Amino acid sequence: MKWLRNIIDVWFYDIKNALLDEGALVFFIIVPLLYPLLYAYLYGNEKAFDVPAVAVDCCNSYNSREFLRMADGTPDIRIVAHCADMQEALEHINRKEAYGLIYIPKEFDRDLMSLQQTTVELYCDMSGLLYYKAILSGCTDVSLQMNKTIKASRMPGATDEQISAAQYPIEYEYVPMFNTQSGFATYMIPAILMLIIQQTMLFGVGMIAGEEREKIRKGIAEPHLIGKKPHEILIGKACVYFAIYIIIAAYMVCIVPQMFHLIHIWDWRTMLAFMFPYVLSCVFFCITIAGMSHDREAFIITFVFMSIPLTFLSGISWPGSNIPHFWKVFSWIMPSTLGINGYVRISEMGAHLADVMPEIIGLWIQTGVYFIMAYTVYRKTYSKQLFV
Amino acid sequence: MHQIKQILAIARREQKRLLSRPIYLFCMVLAPIFGFVLFTTLMREGLPCDLPAGVVDEDNTSITRELMRNLDAFQQTELVKYYSDVAEARNAMQKGEIYGFFYIPEGTTEQALASKQPKVSFYSAASYMIPASLVYRDMRMMSELASGSIMRSTLYAKGYTEDQAMAVIQPIKCEMHAIANPRLNYSVYLCNTLLPGLIMLLIMQVTIYAIYVELKESTASKWLGMADNDIVVALTGKLLPHAAIWTVMGILCLMWLYGYWHFPLNSGIWPMVLNMFLLMAAAMAFAVFLCGLVPSLRWGLSLATLWGVLSFPISGFSFPQMAFPDPLKALSYFFPLRHYFLIYVDQALNGRPLVYSWQSLAMQVGFLILPLLVLRRLKTFLLEYRYTH
Repeated sequence: MKWLRNIIDVWFYDIKNALLDEGALVFFIIVPLLYPLLYAYLYGNEKAFDVPAVAVDCCNSYNSREFLRMADGTPDIRIVAHCADMQEALEHINRKEAYGLIYIPKEFDRDLMSLQQTTVELYCDMSGLLYYKAILSGCTDVSLQMNKTIKASRMPGATDEQISAAQYPIEYEYVPMFNTQSGFATYMIPAILMLIIQQTMLFGVGMIAGEEREKIRKGIAEPHLIGKKPHEILIGKACVYFAIYIIIAAYMVCIVPQMFHLIHIWDWRTMLAFMFPYVLSCVFFCITIAGMSHDREAFIITFVFMSIPLTFLSGISWPGSNIPHFWKVFSWIMPSTLGINGYVRISEMGAHLADVMPEIIGLWIQTGVYFIMAYTVYRKTYSKQLFV
Repeated sequence: MHQIKQILAIARREQKRLLSRPIYLFCMVLAPIFGFVLFTTLMREGLPCDLPAGVVDEDNTSITRELMRNLDAFQQTELVKYYSDVAEARNAMQKGEIYGFFYIPEGTTEQALASKQPKVSFYSAASYMIPASLVYRDMRMMSELASGSIMRSTLYAKGYTEDQAMAVIQPIKCEMHAIANPRLNYSVYLCNTLLPGLIMLLIMQVTIYAIYVELKESTASKWLGMADNDIVVALTGKLLPHAAIWTVMGILCLMWLYGYWHFPLNSGIWPMVLNMFLLMAAAMAFAVFLCGLVPSLRWGLSLATLWGVLSFPISGFSFPQMAFPDPLKALSYFFPLRHYFLIYVDQALNGRPLVYSWQSLAMQVGFLILPLLVLRRLKTFLLEYRYTH
């Protein structure tokens, strides 16, 4: 049982090392604890409510004023100014006091009275798509509502059902599933949680590995590693990272969604069967990549920038079905892609084991491949130490 | 004259250092180019097309089949599969096979023809926000059209012209004009800030690394010695070659965005060149400021990492700043990328006169003052601190 004792030796020494090293501690504990809170707080409003808009009402009739009043009354739009002409309205938009413009033409009322179709022109500043969404959906809702009233007034003596059937021979209903209010936090945060697990682990592991290699280069031997075989060191260290991150993962899966009322309808068996290989594949992935780390700090600056592309490669923002083939294959190198997709579907969409089986199998394959690669890295790094 | 000579000497020394370490090549040239290519080719479609969606057609008449064929013809949606019931379609969403589905209950056609107002529904996997909202848009349009077409045929039968019929069906119509990005190109919407953001992130990291690695390798006193311990001369000399490389990368980024991809450039190129330079200078200044705050490579880099990564959400190009909680709204002013984004919106996107961007321009210039506040501290750190493990 010498090997077991060796592994436990490495584990005890390294967990102490990891938790006492201030640099690693930042990435292992502080960032994973605080970043999710920061993001959840940032996106907490879920949507852009009351997007400021200006109105140009050339008609100035009862109906046009009614339209603007109703638009102002929607949760999406707030009318901040009524302008005399487009010039004045554009000035407001240029000064960023408003992001949308509702233009009601002079013929508005005349068209309605003479039974012609009339058009309300909307303009939107495209600096944010949520502005576009708010202005468009707010005004469309108002027009549908007003249309109904107008049509009712043109059908004297009709019952509510008749009016309704005339408006919509086929009624329709939209059900946004899983993210029931189409909120931004609900959509973005699960992806960020999974990415934080992989990236912070990568920085922390890279820092520790870099420091060890610096010491090896300087001929300083780590006393606790002497006489241990590479696979014992690998398993011992992997268990350290695994132990830390299984707690972090539990915090992200159980506590963060609870705190910020994010949707979490997961089934615990599925979640467990999924998070176990995810954290494990991250551990061996990080150890493998950290094999490139030759000093403590250089490693971080080479990999921080990857956090941003990885969010987009996961298919959570730009749809996965439309990611070009090359990038799709590239994205499968990192556990985060499978991790984000699987987690979103389990946690928010209530997927069961069978639904995420491809992701789980993929993560196990990554675990296997990266285990072998990590072992190769360790054999190269620590073979010298064996004979010290 | 003497100082200029010193600066040049230090710059030559830094140039050698930059060339001798692969990490600089990687972070200053390869990583930005990788990022430029990745983001723009990833989103080269502009607006995602043919998103997979499904149908549950319990009615299955020639009319409903016709309807679904029409939906398939919409640009953003592609019907990949018919499902036998809602549970099966829902399960396909959970498996990630489709982003939404259309549900037509039994008897829809019959009830519609008898004016009994049947109800159809459509579902989307809103956890995937962008594809879900695009599929939603097509399905809603389809439902409107379906209703409209039934009414229209009734009205035509009564002798209405097309215009008259439309006026009856939809007395008020809304028409949207998306200023400067009429096709809702996602690449325009995101890459214009993502790419410069990537440069900013890398500048902050590399600048801090280049300064404090001197402390780690115990060469800081030699470096300052070359400038007679004048920190301004020492920093200028050191950062001069960096500035030259970043200038090339910044110009490359602008050429890539506005030259190759032809993103909207309503202001002409010069305001954007100014914007890019200010962003890069502000990032560098901010990095020097962080160096002066914390006397350690490790902490400096950790801070720069947190600040740099946080720049992306807090600059408000995806989730708008107006929806942030107030403290974070205030905090967002301290991120150079936020101001870059605002200037970009004014200039390249909307082509407004430069004067409308004055506040952001002033803030960017303000960042350049930050290093002055910590120069003395930084000098003390460099001369007196020792790198410790």
